[in-house]
Amino acid sequence: MRPFPLVSCIAALSSFACAELNLSEPLLSKQVLPRTFTPPQVFKNANLVRTMSLDKAYPRETINVIIENIDSKPQSEYYLPFDSSLLSKVGGLEVRDKKAVDKGTFKVEVVGIDAQSSTEFYLIHLPEPLAPAAQQTISISYAVLSSLKPVPTQLGQSDKQYLQYTFSAYAPSAYLTEKQRTKVKFPNSDVPDYTTLPADLNDENKADPQKQGSSFTYGLYNNVPAGAQQPVSVRYEFTKPLTHATLLERDIEVSHWGGNLAAEERYWLVNQGAGLKNHFSRVEWQKQSYLNPPTFALKGLNLPLAPGAVDPYFTDDIGNVSTSKFRPGSGKKEAFLELKPRYPVFGTWKYSFRVGWNAHLSSYLRKLSTGETYILKVPFLEGPRQIEGISYARVNLRVILPEGAKNVRFSTTVPIVDNSTSLHKTFMDTLGRTTLSLTAINLVDEFRDRELLVTYDYPWTAGYRKPVVITLGIFALFAVTWVLGSIDTSIGKKKVA
Amino acid sequence: MSSPLLDVWEAAASAPFSPAIGKNTQFTVGFVLLAISLVLTTVFGMNRSLANLPVLGVPASLAFGFGAVYMICAVGVYV
Repeated sequence: MRPFPLVSCIAALSSFACAELNLSEPLLSKQVLPRTFTPPQVFKNANLVRTMSLDKAYPRETINVIIENIDSKPQSEYYLPFDSSLLSKVGGLEVRDKKAVDKGTFKVEVVGIDAQSSTEFYLIHLPEPLAPAAQQTISISYAVLSSLKPVPTQLGQSDKQYLQYTFSAYAPSAYLTEKQRTKVKFPNSDVPDYTTLPADLNDENKADPQKQGSSFTYGLYNNVPAGAQQPVSVRYEFTKPLTHATLLERDIEVSHWGGNLAAEERYWLVNQGAGLKNHFSRVEWQKQSYLNPPTFALKGLNLPLAPGAVDPYFTDDIGNVSTSKFRPGSGKKEAFLELKPRYPVFGTWKYSFRVGWNAHLSSYLRKLSTGETYILKVPFLEGPRQIEGISYARVNLRVILPEGAKNVRFSTTVPIVDNSTSLHKTFMDTLGRTTLSLTAINLVDEFRDRELLVTYDYPWTAGYRKPVVITLGIFALFAVTWVLGSIDTSIGKKKVA
Repeated sequence: MSSPLLDVWEAAASAPFSPAIGKNTQFTVGFVLLAISLVLTTVFGMNRSLANLPVLGVPASLAFGFGAVYMICAVGVYV
């Protein structure tokens, strides 16, 4: 049995030694196109269904589209246009083959037009060029962050919250779309206001939108030209907090000496929901807390942690926050950390805090049989799991590897915008620990189960750096003590025996 | 979805990392090593000679070096 893992390991290693390894390409290094650029009209959208889900604190859109190559040559570059103000809010854009979802996501990059233009594009690379007249069904999914506006913007403490979302009834497209519909799924059927479009716009001459319970359908629209927009707005009930992290700093620290994986997360949260009309009333809050009614204030956060997580802590600017509960996981059951902020976070209010925990390194780190190389597998994002979801404007992840680790390589399916390797100096370090920093923007909690794989070389000599440095220091102290102790400082002549 | 590194991870399934000293024994090991170091230092302090420098100083320094690393891990600063 032994040779097999060795062979497969070498084979796997050799395949990435020459190939391009960091699969997640920075989105920031975008190509800038001339102002006159328009995507070549080589595709058409034969049929498009766009589903917009408003059941979370951020809208999620899924565009399922049958694309057809109308050019005479095979084509593999599909453009998706966004207004630059919208593009900065679009997050986690992923494209898959609808008929082969498990084959993974397509390569996607942002291409901009020079600073004057307001349109930018996502360039989707089809893995295999589409032959002329051939069709392919692709599924494009993304979230739009910070786009829900509470209307009214100020509420009484126990009022219902209503959100307004403005979007285009036509899906974003750089190509002619023959048939399309936009389905909007609301969290409930309380939708007091929505835009009604004239029936003659609709191909079926029906009332637009069509209502079915808590979902609306705009369309069917025929032959919508490239780049067409039809703004519509909906206002719906959503009495839940709009939890948004303007910044999340997440550190993962690997300790070979301690056999420990330490995680620490620092959050800067804001509730993007409606503000309070009057002062906060503790009496009213306490009275209704027994009934546990829906509220637009953020009352608590639930963090499921991987089994084996121990020693959790929860602190903020003041110090330890005692309103937290921790249920350790046993066996395969995940541990559970329940946090309550110091105060209910109403709309426009902010709360920043840090949480951290430890875990056994053996579940996250493996040693390759090809020498002194290690492979680490950790979740890219852990964080709270809320029914209403949570969005992250920016996530800075640092993987702090042991001092002397080199040849750091990584791979993740999370779209990241930046990566760098640097040194981080902390306790007992002489050189500093090798640190891999990754940055992702506009993430949502759906990315919380994505893995990050890191390999690094860690020679055994580098491992002994810490004790050897201390040993040499102490030995120098002994030597100095001896030297100083043997200096004869006595006054007068030496006694000769 | 498979990626080259995921295959590497799967291939190394039989070799999870295990430290030389487990988390539960770090304090004991660290304490014993530091105690040995203290004893040897005391003995050296009572009889400082060139001969005693390698005989007592080297083991005392080694015990302190490794003992300090394990003790700092045992108290929760995982270096």
